[in-house]
Amino acid sequence: MPTLSISRTLLAASFALVTAGAQAADFQFTGNLVNNTDRVHITFDLGSAADVKLWTDSWSSGQNFDPISALWVKSGSDYTLVQEVDDDSSVASGQGAFDTGMSFTGLAAGQYLYTVGPTFLEPFAKGTLLSGGFTQDGIPATPIALWDQPGFDINNNDQKGTFYSIHLTGVNMAAITVVPEPGSIAMLLAGLGVLGGVARRRQQHRPRTGNTGNRRHLAAQRAPNHALA
Amino acid sequence: MGHPLHIKPLPSGTNRRSFLKGSLPAALAAASAPMLLSAAGKALAAAPAGVFQHGVASGDPLADRVILWTRITPPVAKAAVNVAYVVATDPGMQAVVRRGTTKTNTDRDLTVKIDVSGLQPATTFYYRFTSEGASSPIGRTRTLPVGSTANLRMAVVSCSNHAYGYFNAYRRVAERADLDLVVHLGDYLYEYGPNVYGSLRTPEPPNEMVTLSDYRKRHAQYKRDADLQEVHRQHPFVCIWDDHEITNDSWVNGAQNHTEGAEGSWAQRVDTGLQAYYEWMPIRVPDVAQKRRNQRAFQIGNLVDLVMLEERLSARSQQLPATVPTPFGNGFVQAGEFTNPNRTLLGVEQETWLATRLRTSTARWKIIGQGVMFAQIKLVAAPVAAGGGVFVNSDQWDGYQPARDRIYAVLKGGAGQPPVDNCVILTGDIHSSWAADLTQDPNNANLALGGYDPASGTGSHAVEFVATSVTSPGLPDPNGSTAAFLRSVNPHFKYIDFNQRGYMLLDVTPERAVCEWWFVDTVDSTSAVENFGTAFEVRDGDNHLQPSAQTPDRVNPPAPAP
Repeated sequence: MPTLSISRTLLAASFALVTAGAQAADFQFTGNLVNNTDRVHITFDLGSAADVKLWTDSWSSGQNFDPISALWVKSGSDYTLVQEVDDDSSVASGQGAFDTGMSFTGLAAGQYLYTVGPTFLEPFAKGTLLSGGFTQDGIPATPIALWDQPGFDINNNDQKGTFYSIHLTGVNMAAITVVPEPGSIAMLLAGLGVLGGVARRRQQHRPRTGNTGNRRHLAAQRAPNHALA
Repeated sequence: MGHPLHIKPLPSGTNRRSFLKGSLPAALAAASAPMLLSAAGKALAAAPAGVFQHGVASGDPLADRVILWTRITPPVAKAAVNVAYVVATDPGMQAVVRRGTTKTNTDRDLTVKIDVSGLQPATTFYYRFTSEGASSPIGRTRTLPVGSTANLRMAVVSCSNHAYGYFNAYRRVAERADLDLVVHLGDYLYEYGPNVYGSLRTPEPPNEMVTLSDYRKRHAQYKRDADLQEVHRQHPFVCIWDDHEITNDSWVNGAQNHTEGAEGSWAQRVDTGLQAYYEWMPIRVPDVAQKRRNQRAFQIGNLVDLVMLEERLSARSQQLPATVPTPFGNGFVQAGEFTNPNRTLLGVEQETWLATRLRTSTARWKIIGQGVMFAQIKLVAAPVAAGGGVFVNSDQWDGYQPARDRIYAVLKGGAGQPPVDNCVILTGDIHSSWAADLTQDPNNANLALGGYDPASGTGSHAVEFVATSVTSPGLPDPNGSTAAFLRSVNPHFKYIDFNQRGYMLLDVTPERAVCEWWFVDTVDSTSAVENFGTAFEVRDGDNHLQPSAQTPDRVNPPAPAP
C-alpha cells in the first residue's frame, strides 16, 4: 500500500500525487491538521465503475480529533455531494467508534473529491454543491489541541490530537491537499502584515500559493505541525 | 414485576461487611442477619426500557455550570450515537437557555456526560436529552449561589445496597422539592455477588464485580432502579466514593475483599472500577491524569465551603488488625504502629490542601463530606493520658490517630495560625446514625489539660453528623442497649441509633447548622412512610452540639421536574 506522509511531501510541493498506474491500489495519507476548521481534500479518478472504500483509522479511542467526511463527484465546474458520514467504524479493521468511513459497490466512473475534517456534530457540507461550502466556514479557528470537541469525553479530556490517517481502496490515483478555513488564511495574512517590511520583502519571493477561496494548497504554513506524521 | 416475600438467610459467617467491620463482638455482628419481610408494598413499576432506560442525572454544580448525565441504549446496537440536549428555566422546557449536541460511543459504555457552563447562579434548571428518536425524562438541577447566601438545604445519603433492599429513602429525598443538592458519601453501589451481602434483589452480573464489564453492568443495574432514577432526576448530586465502589475495606495498595492475582492486579482493578464509576456517575473529574485523586470543593456563596475528601485510593495506609481482647470482642489501643505518624488516610497532598482550604475559607461554615467516622468510638473509656482506652474500628479515623491529630491541630490553631471555627463533618459508611462533638480527649474531664465537658460541650472543636444507610443493614438494637452502652463510654456522642435506614437533612443558615435524621419504615418493600428521628444543631461559633427541632420546608420551592 503506498503510504504518503504529508509532513514530508508537502514541504516540497503544493499538492501530493500518488499514482499506481492502471491498477487499482490502496492508499494511505497521514498528516496533521492544526485548527478545527482545517480540512483534508483528496481527489481521485475512476475510469470505470469500481468498488471503493474510504475511511479513517486515526481517532484511536480519542487520541486524535473526531473526523467527519464527505464524498463529492465532479459536476461541470463544481462538485456534487455523494455522501456525508460522521461515524462509521464498520468499513475496515483498525477503526474506532468515532472514525469515519464509506463503502461503495460499483461507484460510477468520475472525478471525485473526498473531504475530511474535525466534526462539529453538524452537517459537514452546507449544501449539495461544493461551492456552497462547509458549515464551519467563517467560524473562528481554534487549534485542535485547545479545542473541546462537541463529542469530547470530559472524563478523559480527549480528542486533542491533530493526526489524521485516511485510507482509500479501489482507486488508481489520488492527490491530497490540506485546506484551512478562509478565516484562518485571513488571520495568517493579518499576522504576516504586522511583521512589516521584512515580511513584505519575503512575500515578494514566495511562490504563489494558488489560493482558490476555501481550497488552498498549503505547504510551508503546515510544516511546523507535521511532527506526528 | 413483584419481588419475593421472603429472603433467604445470609450464609452463616460469610457476611464480609458486618457492622463496624468485624471489630465488634461476633454476637453483635451476627445480628445483622435479615428478618422476614413484610408483605410487599405497592407494585413496582415495570423494568424501565427504551433509549433512556437508565434515567438522567446531574451533579457537581458550581455557580455557573453543572454536569448533566444520561446513558443511551440504542434500539439497534451502535458503536457511536449523537445526543442532543436542551436546558431551560421552566419545567415546560420553553425558556431555553442552552442547546447543544454531543456524542458517545461504546468505549464510554454509551454514557453521556456534559459540563454545561455559562449558567446563572442560584437558579433551577430543567434539562432533557434526545437521541435515537427518543426523548429522555426531564431532569431538574440547580446551580450554586454566589455572595450573600441565607440558606442551604440539602440531603445526605450513603450506603445504598441494591441487593439489601428498596431505595425508599431516595424516593423520600426526591419528593422534597426544596433541596439545593444531595450529597452521597459513598458506598453508592456494592461489589458482591448474589446472597453474599443482601438477597432481596439479585445483583447483575451474578458475581462479584471485578472486570470492566462487571462494574459497568452493576452500575447499569443500579441506574435502572426507579427510586434512584427519581432522586437523580430531581436533584444535583455531589458524590464521593467509599470502599465498595471498588471493593470492601480498600486502601491505596489493596483491599480486604481483593485477592491479588486471582482477581487481577489491584492497580488494574482500581483503574477498571474508576473507569466505570466516572462513566456512570454525574461527577466532574478533578484530574484526568490521576483518577484516584477525587477531592474537590464547592463554594456555596458566603455561607458554606463544602469540601469533599478522598479517603480510600489516593494514599490510605493499610488498616491494622484489632488484637486487644475485651469483654465485647477485640479492639485496639493507640500504641505501636497505630502511633506511626506516617500512616495516613488522606496523604500529604490532600492533607495540605484541606488545611489550606479550612484556614483560608471565608465561608461561615466549613462542611467536610467524607467517608469514615472521625469521632472516637471506644469500648473501654480512658483519658489520653491513661492510654486512651480501647477502640473499636481500625478502618475509621480511630485507626489513624496521628493523622486525625493533624486535622485537630488545624481546627485548634496555634503556631501562628488562627483556629478554624464552624467546621461540620458529614460521614457515612457505618449504617447507623450518630451526632458527635469532636474532641481529642472525650474521657478527660480536665478542660485545662485538653479535656472535654459533655454537659456544656466545652472542649469540642467541631461537630460530626453521621448518616445512616439507605438500605445497608445496621445492628438490631431494639431497646437501644447497645447505643446506651456506647454513649456511656463515649460521652461526646449526643445521639446514636442503629436500627433505622434513611437519610439526613441538613439546613444551614448563618446562625446555625441543623441536622435532621429522617427514617423510612422498611427497606423490605416499597413504602411511602417516613418518620422524623431527631435533630441536632451547632450554632455559629459554638463548635459543639445542642438539641434542635425540625426545620420548615421552604416556601414556594421550584417546581419538581414533571
